[in-house]
Formats: sequence, C-alpha cells, structure tokens
Amino acid sequence: MLCQICKKKEATITIAKVVGEQKTEFHLCKDCAAVFSDKISIFPLPQFNINDLLAGLLKAIDLYNKEEGIVPAKEIKCKNCGLTYEEFKQSGKLGCSVCYHDFRDQLTPLLRRLYGSSEHIGKIPRRARGKLNKIKKIKQLRKELREVVIKEEYEKAAKIRDEILKLEGVLKK
Amino acid sequence: MQNNRKETLLQNLKKSTAEWTSGQGSLSDIVISSRIRLARNMEGIPFPSRADKAELKNIFELSKQVVDKSSLFRDSNLLLLDELSSLENQFLVEKHLISIYHAREKHLYRGCVFNQKETLSIMINEEDHFRIQYLLSGLQLNKIWEFINQIDDEIGKKVTYAFSEKEGYLTSCPTNVGTGLRASVMLHLPALVMVNRVNDVLKAISKIGYVVRGFYGEGTEVMGNLFQVSNQITLGLSEEEIIDNLEKVNQQIISQEQKMRKNLLSESKSQLEDQVWRAYGILSNARIISSAETMKLLSKLRFGVELGIISYPGLGTINKLMLLIQPAYLQILSGKELSPYDRDLQRAILIRNKITYSRERMCI
Ligand SMILES: [Zn+2]
Ligand SMILES: [Zn+2]
Repeated sequence: MLCQICKKKEATITIAKVVGEQKTEFHLCKDCAAVFSDKISIFPLPQFNINDLLAGLLKAIDLYNKEEGIVPAKEIKCKNCGLTYEEFKQSGKLGCSVCYHDFRDQLTPLLRRLYGSSEHIGKIPRRARGKLNKIKKIKQLRKELREVVIKEEYEKAAKIRDEILKLEGVLKK
Repeated sequence: MQNNRKETLLQNLKKSTAEWTSGQGSLSDIVISSRIRLARNMEGIPFPSRADKAELKNIFELSKQVVDKSSLFRDSNLLLLDELSSLENQFLVEKHLISIYHAREKHLYRGCVFNQKETLSIMINEEDHFRIQYLLSGLQLNKIWEFINQIDDEIGKKVTYAFSEKEGYLTSCPTNVGTGLRASVMLHLPALVMVNRVNDVLKAISKIGYVVRGFYGEGTEVMGNLFQVSNQITLGLSEEEIIDNLEKVNQQIISQEQKMRKNLLSESKSQLEDQVWRAYGILSNARIISSAETMKLLSKLRFGVELGIISYPGLGTINKLMLLIQPAYLQILSGKELSPYDRDLQRAILIRNKITYSRERMCI
C-alpha cells in the first residue's frame, strides 16, 4: 500500500487515532509518519474544574510514572529554587521557571492530561521571536496536517508536509 | 506614569467609575463586561511564593520603571498594596482591580498598576510576577485582546519573560501555563434562572472545558443572577482560538437567554411587570437593606430595564450601584469603618439617592 500522505513511498507504518469510541487508522511511509505522529494526542479534554483535575492527577501521576519506569519523583529537586517534586505535589504550585525544565518528565504527561496537549502554539515573546516563530509555524502546520489527513485531503497534506520539511531544514542550519 | 501620592490615588478611586460599569458595548443588555488576563513571569527570578524580599523588590522596582517610561502607561499609576489598610485592599478587590488572593497575600512588594478608566490593571507579585488584566463593558473580547497584546509587548521590551518553546509562558500554577491567558465574560441571566434552566446550560459548558463562577470570582455564591464564564484551557490553543471559542460559547448562552426572555414576555408579562415594579418600590423606599437583598432586587430592576418594562435608571446606574453597595466600597465612601447594621442604613440611603436622581433626570 502507498503512503496516504505523499502517495509515493510504501506505507510501512500504521497509526491509530482514537477519539471517544471512534478509531481511525492511517497508513504512512516512515518520513510522513515522523512528521505526523509525534504530535497526536489521544487524551480527552478535561470535563471538570481544572484545579480539581490537577489535584487528582498529582495523586495519580506517581502510579503513571512507576508504570513508565520514570525515576521516583521524590528524589527530584529543582536546581534553581530547590523545590522538590514532593512539595509541588502538595501545593500544586511550581517555584520558578527552571522547575518546568527539571520536572519535565513528570510535567509533560500531566499537561497532556490537563490540556490534551503539552505544546504551546500561541504567542511568543518579542525577545524570543525569529527562531521561535519558525518553530511555531511548524507546530501550526502539523496541526493543519492532522486536520487535512482526517478529512482525507491527501494532496493538501503532501504540500503541508513539504513545507514542514523545508522549515525544519532551515532551522537545522 | 502620573506619580500621584497614595492618598490622592485613593481619593480619585473613590470618585471614579470604571469604564466597565458604563452599560455600553455589544449585547450590554445581557453581557455586563468582558475581561482578559495574562499571567507572566520574569526569567531567572523565582515565582513570588518562593522569591525572597530582595527579589520581590526587584520585580516591583522594574514594574515602576516600565510604567514610568512608556507612553502606553501615560495615565497609569502604581500603588504599593503593603501600605494600604485591609479595608483599602478589599476596596480594590470590589473595584475589580486586584484579586482576593492578592489582597490577602502576606508577602511584601505587592503592587497594582491601573489606568484612569480602570480598564487596565496589572497585579505585581500576585501568584505570578505580573498579572495583566484588561476589562471592558459588553462583549468585546477581540478588542481587549488587541489592547492587552500591545501592553504585553510593551512590558516584554523591558522584561525577559520566563518562556519555553515547549510549554510557552511559564507560570506558578500549571493550570495557567502556555498562553497564560484567562478570558472571561460576565453575564446577567435572570430568564434562565427564572425558568430553572441555568444549571443545565452551565453544566453543559463546564463539560467542554469552561468554568462558571459568581460575581466575585473564586468560591463565593452567585449574587444577582450574574455568572462569569471563562476558559480553562490555556495550553495547546492559540490566544485567538481561546478567545473565539469563548465568544462562541457565550453567544450560545446569550441566545438561550434571549429565547427565554421572549417566552417569558409573551406568557407572563403581568407577573414580570409586577416583580420589576415591586423591586423598584423597595429599592427607592427601603431604609435598611442588606447587600444580598440589594443584589437580588437590582437584578430584577435590571431585567425590567433590559425588557423595556421600566426606562429608568439606566443600565449604567444599575451597574454602578452593584459596585457601590459592596461593604468595603460603602465604608470608603463614608470615610470610616461601619458596622454591618450601619452599612445597611448607608446602603439604603445611597440607593435612594441614585435611583431618585436618575428618575428626576428622566422626567425633565
Ligand atoms: Zn509518505
Ligand atoms: Zn524551581
């Protein structure tokens, strides 16, 4: 079978996207899959107050980490402000911007659960624009790609994919 | 910045009325006001809850510089909340310039920047270093985003924001991370409450990622049929998407309220008229009145104005009354602390004056 996006290469990878009870399968080549798949989220939007959800998740997250083989959280400490992950779990508040870096392995699944995504696609501060604008553009294109693939508009998808690869090439230089 | 003294500022705040009470703006018969808040932090400095005195001071002084230099803040002022009494802090809460949390927090160098029209307020050293808020009357989220985006850029010229390309703007609580944007709309929904539909409608929207609160914000009971609807998702969507989605959700609630109002008017006009005129009668004659009763009756009166049953006072006067009759506001207006009983007396006088005045104006 040919890849559903580029329709050139052989499809070697099958990706399943599950939304509610509906399951959709995509057959893609290795290259298209790399661009397409890493951003698929299967987590539903929160249905309750987000603060309650956070509190509940903080309790559940240890279990998740254990299953995933992530280092036991209580040994982790922010190198900048000294906040321990244990303290974060108690208060639900982080201590500084470096906490996001030092607790990233714990926070990423948490953010996915809270938001259905762990990736910012909004505004970028003036001082960080330029490089980050390209990254943002790529993220947006990936989102568009997902949408057109679901609608089975594969020609459009191929165009978007080329654009993504081009931008990624520029970034690597 | 204007650099006024604390006493002058409080004196001005006592007399001024915020733009959001004007009763203008799109759909102002249902939408009281719209608001957007951005949470921002400075890179390299711990968030306020873990910052030391010197670091908090650093943020406060930096804010002063930003506001001092830029023409965007020409008509703005900065208050150091530590210097204010708890009554004065509460007064700023009732004015919607600061949050309850900000008023009660114990750490030093808590600040508030606000402009003349009280459309802009920046809380300094709240849960995050900067909480930028913009508030307008009616449904005007897009316009607010335009303004607040500009203000955010202006501060971003001086302050290197804590930002990661993955998680976006980094905030003290993960429930704000990403855009740091919370948009909210304050709705007056008497018809949906009257026909017992409001819980269904609000439950449905809370299932799709929105939160509904009462007049004050966190954790207080809903007064005067006022409901604040805001987004909970701050990450994974762009600012424009968040705002568009919230606007759409509100449009749906508004159209349901409009439908119910039409039904009520055609089926029970006399009962509605009776309720509205009774509310008017009590408000313009009472000698002792609590804030809960006032809010209930002002909601009825507002409903009457919205439906065209009664033509005075205007929506602006009613919005202002909802603001002025609050406990701290009343005490600041009187210039002294009042017991709850004295507040009920003062409140009745204030309402009578405002309502009679607006009626006399209508009759000329
Ligand atoms: Zn392909
Ligand atoms: Zn930290």
